[in-house]
Amino acid sequence: MLKDIIVQFPQVFTSYNIIMLAEAALTTLFLSAVGCLVGVVFGTILSLARLSRSRLLLPLKIIALVYVEVFRRVPFLVTLLVFFFGAQVLGFDISPLVVTLISTSVISTAFVAEIIRAGLAAVRPSQLEAAEVMNFSPWQTLCLVRWPQAWPLILPPVFGYFVLFIKDTALASQIGVLELTQAGKILNTKGFSALLVFATILILYFLISYPLARLGAYLESYLGASRHSRSHGQLR
Amino acid sequence: MHYALHYSQITSYLPYLIGGALLSLELSVLAFAGGIVIGFALAIARNEGGPILSRLVRAYVVFFTNTPQLVQIYVIFFGLPDLGVVFSPFAAVLIGMTLNAGAYLTEILRAGLASVHREELDAAETLGMNRLQSLRYVIVPHVFRVSMPPLSNQYILMTLGTSMAAVFGVEELTGRAFNVNSTTFRSIEIFTTIAGLYVVITFMATILLAVVGRYVFRARVRVL
Repeated sequence: MLKDIIVQFPQVFTSYNIIMLAEAALTTLFLSAVGCLVGVVFGTILSLARLSRSRLLLPLKIIALVYVEVFRRVPFLVTLLVFFFGAQVLGFDISPLVVTLISTSVISTAFVAEIIRAGLAAVRPSQLEAAEVMNFSPWQTLCLVRWPQAWPLILPPVFGYFVLFIKDTALASQIGVLELTQAGKILNTKGFSALLVFATILILYFLISYPLARLGAYLESYLGASRHSRSHGQLR
Repeated sequence: MHYALHYSQITSYLPYLIGGALLSLELSVLAFAGGIVIGFALAIARNEGGPILSRLVRAYVVFFTNTPQLVQIYVIFFGLPDLGVVFSPFAAVLIGMTLNAGAYLTEILRAGLASVHREELDAAETLGMNRLQSLRYVIVPHVFRVSMPPLSNQYILMTLGTSMAAVFGVEELTGRAFNVNSTTFRSIEIFTTIAGLYVVITFMATILLAVVGRYVFRARVRVL
């Protein structure tokens, strides 16, 4: 039985299928990367809103808190479905790929905001007091004191989150985006053994994810979070 | 385009959806319990076992943490029948989730084990505890106290992961939402409703785990 399956293995890799798999792999990476980049932009804004201490920004602070707490607790699949059916019902003609991009962006914004908030909060209060004594404006304090000390703490978890997200985008296959998992489903309809096809897809995911995960681990040791006296909880 | 939201049509389905939520909880609790057992055993095996055993554990962890849970369940549910091993959807999802949880929890608990100092074990030995007693009275409480925040985090992520079961036809919260959607066609209302239910479930889980961590293991867990 196993023998019959292994014999099929070379037959999977026709030039057509290789191109499809390569495109699908790129789509998977693209979804995760763009989602994370958008997440970094909006997550930064949200984390600043959460850390602000002014009365004026209080409503914004509450909105940011609710946003982060809610979207970290909604399954990616459900978010996808809300936007997918929402677009359909409201008559927006957007492709499943765009729906997935919106969903990844919305969710990664919540996660990244939390990471950045924790990183900025880990900067010692004495540093901020010193900046205040030096008559820095809040903006100067952020750019010249807080951010330079916080970014080595922020970057590794954000990167780790990006790798985590590569795996989450597999769910985009459920609304018909041609990424790796969907490519596997297509190959499966062509009469190959399901075990062979999905094992191959697993290996492809591994080949994408593992090097990036190692890079993230290297980044963490290189930036040396140990240099900072106050470590923070890993938030993913 | 004008579209009116009608949540009123969904209220009658709420008990049905909450029944699905219970199945989601069942999945996540079972997988979490199984994952803790696997994780603890493998964390100890990786630290105390020989080079071959720790290599194997590392390979398992690295493989499962770098591949999507969805595709893992695809292999179990659609792939294994090619070898004559057939599972029900629920069993396939549970096995996939448990193996996945085991990999993540091995890493979390290994970090917790690393924080147990040699001296504590020496002290336990001096008090005349045998290995099992020192495991129960010294190692386990210590590891759980240290690992409570990441464990809580992992449990939340797993609860969200149960929504994948709907893909394989398990009628948990998301699966039942699909059913309601196909009878009422009120897609936005249905899926935002279950999104809200997931928020409620995971929030209750966070609070419960914080309380358990606080009073059983004296751990500090932030809720908000």
